[in-house]
Amino acid sequence: MKSGRAANILIFILRIAILFLVVIMFVPAVNPANICEYMNKNLSLFTSAYSYSQLTEGLGRAFNKGWIFVSTMKLLNASSIITVIGAVIIGACGCMSLGNLKFKRLGYKFAVAGCLIIAAGLTGIHQAYIQVSGTTNPEKIKPSFPNGFYFFFICVALILMLAVLLQIIQPKAEKQMKYEMETKYRLFLMILPFLALSFVFTYLPLWGWRYAFFDYKVGDTLGRENFVAFKWFTFLFKNEATVRDFFRVLRNTLIMSGIGLLMSWLPMAFAIFLSEIRNTKIKRFVQTFTTVPNFLSWVLVYAVALAIFSTDGFISSLMINLGIWDSGRNYLMSDSLTYLKMWLWGTWKSLGWNSIIYIAGISGIDQQLYEAATVDGAGRFQKMWHVTVPGLMSTYFVLLLLSIANILSNGMDQYLVFENANNTKSITVLDLYVYKLGIDKGLIPISTVVGMFKSLVSVTLLLTANKLSKLIRGESII
Amino acid sequence: MFMLSETRKTKKRKNGELYRKSKLDILFDIINYTFFISFTLLCLFPFYYILINTISDNGLVRAGKINFIPQGFHLKNYLSLFAVNDLSVSFWVTLGRTLLGTALMVISSGFVGYLVTKKQMWGRKIWYRMLIISMYFNAGLIPWYMNMSTLGLTNRFAAYIIPSIVVPYNIILVKTYIESIPEEIEESARIDGAGYLVIFKSIIFPLSKPILATIAVFGAVGHWNSFTDSLILMQSNPSLYTLQHRLYIYLNTSSNLKALMQSGGVITQSMIESQLNSKVISYTISMITAIPILLVYPFMQRYFEKGIMMGAVKG
Repeated sequence: MKSGRAANILIFILRIAILFLVVIMFVPAVNPANICEYMNKNLSLFTSAYSYSQLTEGLGRAFNKGWIFVSTMKLLNASSIITVIGAVIIGACGCMSLGNLKFKRLGYKFAVAGCLIIAAGLTGIHQAYIQVSGTTNPEKIKPSFPNGFYFFFICVALILMLAVLLQIIQPKAEKQMKYEMETKYRLFLMILPFLALSFVFTYLPLWGWRYAFFDYKVGDTLGRENFVAFKWFTFLFKNEATVRDFFRVLRNTLIMSGIGLLMSWLPMAFAIFLSEIRNTKIKRFVQTFTTVPNFLSWVLVYAVALAIFSTDGFISSLMINLGIWDSGRNYLMSDSLTYLKMWLWGTWKSLGWNSIIYIAGISGIDQQLYEAATVDGAGRFQKMWHVTVPGLMSTYFVLLLLSIANILSNGMDQYLVFENANNTKSITVLDLYVYKLGIDKGLIPISTVVGMFKSLVSVTLLLTANKLSKLIRGESII
Repeated sequence: MFMLSETRKTKKRKNGELYRKSKLDILFDIINYTFFISFTLLCLFPFYYILINTISDNGLVRAGKINFIPQGFHLKNYLSLFAVNDLSVSFWVTLGRTLLGTALMVISSGFVGYLVTKKQMWGRKIWYRMLIISMYFNAGLIPWYMNMSTLGLTNRFAAYIIPSIVVPYNIILVKTYIESIPEEIEESARIDGAGYLVIFKSIIFPLSKPILATIAVFGAVGHWNSFTDSLILMQSNPSLYTLQHRLYIYLNTSSNLKALMQSGGVITQSMIESQLNSKVISYTISMITAIPILLVYPFMQRYFEKGIMMGAVKG
């Protein structure tokens, strides 16, 4: 009994160690294959293994000058692959440890095998390091023994020890025992890869918020020497130019979203009036073709805008053909009424689509209500106002709350494609600003700060909206 | 009191009946029909205009003579632009990601949606919540980009596919749908000894086809329209630009005929003869980008509509 409990504790530690090993495979800071400072530092062990081109990115000069040999990098790449394979086998052991005794014991064998493979891989990496240390130009290459090497070494040693220990203290499985696993764990293992994907692409980026606290330029590593604490946060609100920019952008964002909020009843009105059309064929036709633009990209909408409103577009050529204008005019280059134009394009694109949910809502309204209203003597417009509109109110309310929560997120596609030198001042919204700051100008830290601000405000708004909805309607919206 | 309300009712009814025959009513109908038909035309006309300009005589197009009626029908523009190397590469890249990305998205949405309905799963609630929260909260563009680049997913085709495999919204849709399937169907298969994978493959997947079709059309449109990921992630690998990105570049290059030449396109004799000009080039590329959606949408409309309705019912 006692040995059973001890085994359980050891298995628990083993699983944590395995999880840790698998995770550090993806962390660039502890990449054991990062054997000199001349190399691309933004690589995890996993990337070093599967992409030789990224491993040797920027090393062309070093190869040409003979500072680093191609064979060394090949060895490094091969060793990384071996290490990753070993880690995968150990990961399999972690999965097997959820099964019955027979499964577990097989898992320990896997773990031992995986550890040996990783040991081989690490030896290869060490060999590559020794070769790099003998470089003819140590000042430039700066060989440095990677910290990650120790991480992996300790982790693997721990796993090996635990696996061997468990193999010894756990009783042997009976011969006729089958490989089995409880249903709950089997289901968990099935969903695990998808959880990993979700984690990697939506939660791992949160780790990138640390860039906000460093003086980082593309290609740097984050270390104690460039840690700046809250410098960028104060910079954003102290530096006059950025303050001006930031508040202008915030103003644009709020105005664009504000117009949207003010006009958010439009899809509902569209649906109500459309349902007043009795001819089903016309109704169907309208419904089909007003929803199409919603499924075209903003780039295409911009192409449409050019085709209609640019100097050689439809309006200009029509006017010239009719002899009203002498030369074409370009409506897209001016900065007049930018907010309104953007709203109009957004409406053109999505009005029909946004009304569909209300159209469905209308068909869901109890017909008896209309009959009762008719009996009560309500006319057409009275029925629209007193029966249909209240029937759609709860849908409208939910959508309104969601759009309030999204007040800072207008997306960047629309504004990016319509942006030009003339209207850039009034068209730049928060999302576009972050893009231009971070991707175009490469100012990663400050754009991360702006992004953090946006994310935090958005999530607060969403939670508030949700609470409001719970208070008023007794139903949550998320 | 009773009398009062009674008299009001009769008055109203009279009013109502008068109303129904009134001229105001007819006027309203006229305005209503006019508005909706003109709005529909407003949605359709630009595409018609672009289309007729790509198939009409290029000389007339350049002079701005084609406004409503096509003249001098030909398809040379499409043929010569398909011969341009980077355009056809973009086309195949976009088509490839649309097919592969959608297929993977549909299968995994179905499978994960099925798994999260299984109450026996260890930690099901936590995992489900973890999947769903990501819908409402994200780290922002720049951390996402940095993450993609540390994962080595920049300038790689995989960057188009892998991140879009697990989409929380789709999982909610499938979960809600599967919960509406009677449990007895699965139960009987379980008694016959079928495992989860077999049940998913032979029972759940076929049964949830309607919702998976909806996910497929939305996913396909999303992949086909993708522009931002190409713009941000493929900065140093133009051979992986999506069609939308390519179109964006052509729209923003004042002399795109020159851009065509620089991008390895050979300006053939027939192209010069057909008076290919920048206007025609951007119209034709626009049309190539738009046609798949314009053609497919009317047939798939019910799936799209189902999607938005299902979204309203949340689990």
